Amino acid sequence: MKVSLKWLSEYVEVPSNLKAFCDRLDLTGTGVEAVETLGATFDHVVTAQVLTKEPHPDSDHMWVCTVDVGECNLDEAGNPAPVTIVCGAQNFEAGDHIVTALPGAELPGGVKIKKSKLRGVASAGMNCSARELGLSSDHSGIMILPEDAPVGVAFAEYAQLTDTVLDLEITPNRPDCLSMVGMAREVGAMYRIPYKNPLSAMAEKMEPVREGRAIDSTVSITIPDPDRCPRYTARIIRGVKIGPSPDWLVERLASIGQRSINNVVDVTNYILFLFGQPLHSFDLAKVRNAHGYANIVVRAAEEGETLTTLDGVHRELTPDMTVIATPDAGPVALAGVMGGLDTEVTEETTEILLEAATFCPGRTSRTSRNLGLFSESSMRYERGVDDWGIDARSAAACALIVEVAGGEVAYAMTNNEGLVDAWPKKTEPRRLEFRVSRFCAMMGASIPRGIVVEILKRLGCAVEDTEGDRLQVVAPTFRPDLEREIDLYEEVLRLWGMDRIEPTLPGGRGRFGTRTDAALANDVIVATLRGSGMNETMTYSFADPADMDRLGMTLPEGQLAVELINPLNSEQSVMRQSIIPGLLRSVAYNQARGVEDVQLFEIGTVFTTAEGRKKPKERQKVAGVLAGSLQKAGWNTAPVALDFFDAKGVVENLVRELALAKVRFAPISADEAPYLQPGRAASVVAGGTHLGWVGEIHPRALKAFEAKGPVAAFELDLGALQKSRNDARPYVEVPSFPPMEIDQAFVVAEEVTAERMMQVISSAGGKLLESVQLFDVFRDADRIGQGKKSMAFKLVFRSPERTLTSDEVERALAKLQTKVQGATGAEIRS
Amino acid sequence: MAITEELTQLQADTLAAIAAASTTAELEAIRVAVVGKSGTLTAYLRSMGSVPKEERAQVGKAVNAARVAVEEALASAKDALAAAELEQAIDAAAVDVTLPGRAQVIGTRHLINRMIDEISEVFLGLGYSVGTGPEVETDYYNFEALNAPADHPSRSMQDTFYVRDLSGAAAAVRGESDVLLRTQTSGVQVHALEDEELPIYIIAPGKVYRRDVADPSHLPQFHQIEGLVVDRGITFGDLKGTLDFFCKQVFGPDRKTRFRAHYFPFTEPSAEVDVSCGICHGEGCRMCKGTGWLELLGCGMVDPNVLEMSGVDPEIYSGFAFGMGVERAACLKYNVPDLRMLLEGDMRFLRQF
Repeated sequence: MKVSLKWLSEYVEVPSNLKAFCDRLDLTGTGVEAVETLGATFDHVVTAQVLTKEPHPDSDHMWVCTVDVGECNLDEAGNPAPVTIVCGAQNFEAGDHIVTALPGAELPGGVKIKKSKLRGVASAGMNCSARELGLSSDHSGIMILPEDAPVGVAFAEYAQLTDTVLDLEITPNRPDCLSMVGMAREVGAMYRIPYKNPLSAMAEKMEPVREGRAIDSTVSITIPDPDRCPRYTARIIRGVKIGPSPDWLVERLASIGQRSINNVVDVTNYILFLFGQPLHSFDLAKVRNAHGYANIVVRAAEEGETLTTLDGVHRELTPDMTVIATPDAGPVALAGVMGGLDTEVTEETTEILLEAATFCPGRTSRTSRNLGLFSESSMRYERGVDDWGIDARSAAACALIVEVAGGEVAYAMTNNEGLVDAWPKKTEPRRLEFRVSRFCAMMGASIPRGIVVEILKRLGCAVEDTEGDRLQVVAPTFRPDLEREIDLYEEVLRLWGMDRIEPTLPGGRGRFGTRTDAALANDVIVATLRGSGMNETMTYSFADPADMDRLGMTLPEGQLAVELINPLNSEQSVMRQSIIPGLLRSVAYNQARGVEDVQLFEIGTVFTTAEGRKKPKERQKVAGVLAGSLQKAGWNTAPVALDFFDAKGVVENLVRELALAKVRFAPISADEAPYLQPGRAASVVAGGTHLGWVGEIHPRALKAFEAKGPVAAFELDLGALQKSRNDARPYVEVPSFPPMEIDQAFVVAEEVTAERMMQVISSAGGKLLESVQLFDVFRDADRIGQGKKSMAFKLVFRSPERTLTSDEVERALAKLQTKVQGATGAEIRS
Repeated sequence: MAITEELTQLQADTLAAIAAASTTAELEAIRVAVVGKSGTLTAYLRSMGSVPKEERAQVGKAVNAARVAVEEALASAKDALAAAELEQAIDAAAVDVTLPGRAQVIGTRHLINRMIDEISEVFLGLGYSVGTGPEVETDYYNFEALNAPADHPSRSMQDTFYVRDLSGAAAAVRGESDVLLRTQTSGVQVHALEDEELPIYIIAPGKVYRRDVADPSHLPQFHQIEGLVVDRGITFGDLKGTLDFFCKQVFGPDRKTRFRAHYFPFTEPSAEVDVSCGICHGEGCRMCKGTGWLELLGCGMVDPNVLEMSGVDPEIYSGFAFGMGVERAACLKYNVPDLRMLLEGDMRFLRQF
């Protein structure tokens, strides 16, 4: 909300140090978002005092004066020094306070002041008349200021020609601050100084005129559901002349960024910003029926009803919206949000029906959100407009309308106020207890009781200052946020000063911090992936609905993508079901920028839902992509192109570090995983648990994501990894006897997998076979035959109890060879 | 020539040859030629049988003496040469130590998670546990149980992403839903109050979502760390002390904090916390827009309604909660100019951390 300090200072003393004032506002809960300076600045025009006045030696009408301009002119030593000015005016004497333009000043009309000589006498400035300053047409002499005017102050500041406008962030709990008077009260409470509320003086100016038809025989108000509208009042002003507003009103509104529309609308806006009371002016002629009656009903909109609002938009209404309607015209305004176009005040309007009311905050907020229609009125109603005092605020508005647009306020037969008032639901002021000792204990500070009482009173609370710990407080009705004792604590704390509370740390015997097992497993996973050369990244949780198709991935039967109702754009309209598309985009992003070596991983959530399900299912995944090579060519290293086996190696590192048991890599078919290149893809299984997959992304999918291949990748279920993680590390005796190592090659058919060979060898080797390592795979149609391969293994034999003899090892090897031959059809290569 | 003379001559020749040898290989050749199996000196030993008996003792002694002399000379020459050769070999093996080493490539941690780790470490040290919560929440956990019921004006403070609800339930406001992407980690407060034993000291880092178009200072998804303490006798001073300690730990001991009163539906009293600008140290600069302060987090004392909704008696227990933007903290600490870099996966960016 914009607040003009010039306007505000009519009701409360605004501190002169702007920076300190803004800081204090910030600290007490009213954020200052911007500070703007408006109006003429009058550089080098200052207040001054005439010290001496002597006749000009060479002129019969000019004077040579010395003028004190305070610190605005300094001598060589830096001390204030009067200036000599030749002046032709006759209306002043020595001692007079005046306005002086010093060299460098530029006056309205473009007159530039510089040092000059007038008939041989040097003159360092000009004493100004009101006309020269552009303030009035008075040119009878120079401006004489009151005797108490300060000397050497910028004139703009002295005359308050400039205005500072603050843009304030009013939090949603403070509807009372959405007005000039409210802010004046807040500033008064901040500095514990009084503020002035102009309401009663303005309202008293309204005088209904006993002529014509009484308002209560013209207007009736019906409110079927008081929850929708706790209070609705109406007044009539007859004989207004719609026209431009007076300058002061235009300027006031302009200072807070409001455009002038016409005198009547401007008054309603002025009252809105002054008191926080939204008003609506109807053209009475357009809301009354053929018999001259305006029968106002504040009711729920009916299904199918429509209204064209002031902004010209034709809107369909629903029953949760509240409308102002008449039985004849139907809806004429959207309660609390915006008036109807058909009943608005126009240049032809002469009779005004002025609405001052309050509406249900929740419904106003919902209507605004449903229609995407937010106004100064709706913003105040959805935070709460006080039902007390509406009559006075309406009266102030009527008096001002009569003042600026003429006309008369219609009288009422039933009261002297010219008022029709339906007030079916009165807000009862809340009585709250304030336990001073509890407050101090909870804040961790000792705040004097007297300060507590004063702050609450300045905020508008009534405080029954009884002896003892408990204060009885009545919260004002304009503070709907003060509902409980704790709400009062906040008020006192913020105004007393949060900065004055001593910082402490909570005690807590026997407290210790813990992390979940899942978090500890994640640490191992991240450390392993980093140790494998992978770089952690983050990608969007949002996805393009086409991503899964592009990738060639499908969700299991019955699972659906999680759709956003209000996505930012169609490419981010669902929640991701896999991390891979995001990672592929990052691969393409890097490649497009000439970065070919990309190793990324992400740990994040994927989302699916199902028909009939409310909350989606969230699962955590860890996924990685590898493209290019891990290392650039170095002086002593050659780059190795990353492929399936690098991704698999990363997964193997995870298996090792998490000590996952019984892990198998099984080939996956193109049917099962169309997103992976057939023959270079495997599923990863630990015991009976499916962990995920590892493989090279299918060239088709790479193309769809504009990434260059090969890209090896993996995506594993984080929850399964966490659950399968084995924390135990049982100790195994470190061998103390020497091993016997034998290299043995087998020639087998292509179909025989490495896994199968390892299994057969391991089980055939007996107790003495300590380890098996595949160290070479070799194909040669001529030497070993078509469709065959040679696999060479390093076999390590060892006994934990003794040094093995060559006989023992040869026997074990012979047995192993026979069994492997039998099981796999292998030929022994020697 | 008498044998002894021959021997004297052989010894003299051999010692001269040893002295002249310049490599250990030459020495070895001399050793083999003289004292090896078929060496010249060894041959005298072998031929002792043919030496007349009376001379044997004398010749034998002479041969042995020659042998000892040769072997000693060989050994000392060998030591000297070996030392010289080692010297040479070492000289020859010297490298340019400024050449790059043969390092295993180590991957990097994402800046945001690095920041979360750092912050978690501070709170673990203060005896807090680290928890998590779901990213998709119901309206209840994101708003209602946090004292922001339907139509509460604070709801328009945050632009929410709504998720299509497939349970058949309809939302009260068009275009909204009972299911949403959490806009704040504060829902974790409610889960913790429902599920955990008192007292509670937790932090919960996590991803949150708000409907902001990505630009240098906004992302539609970012991270928060929620903190919640509920215990007997917790004061506003404790809240201040905790966050002040945290800021000094993470940003440096010379940093100051400032509490500005604010409003959140689920805390009362509420405040926003600024940390003093690390660039100008509070003087005011471009980084802090001349204020000397950088906004860091929101916090407050847990609203008694929130405690009551979860069955905790606010007359006995009090607590505080805070929520900080991790991206914001990371930007303050690492001067990242554009938040979007955090989601692009640019290797040149990621490798910096």
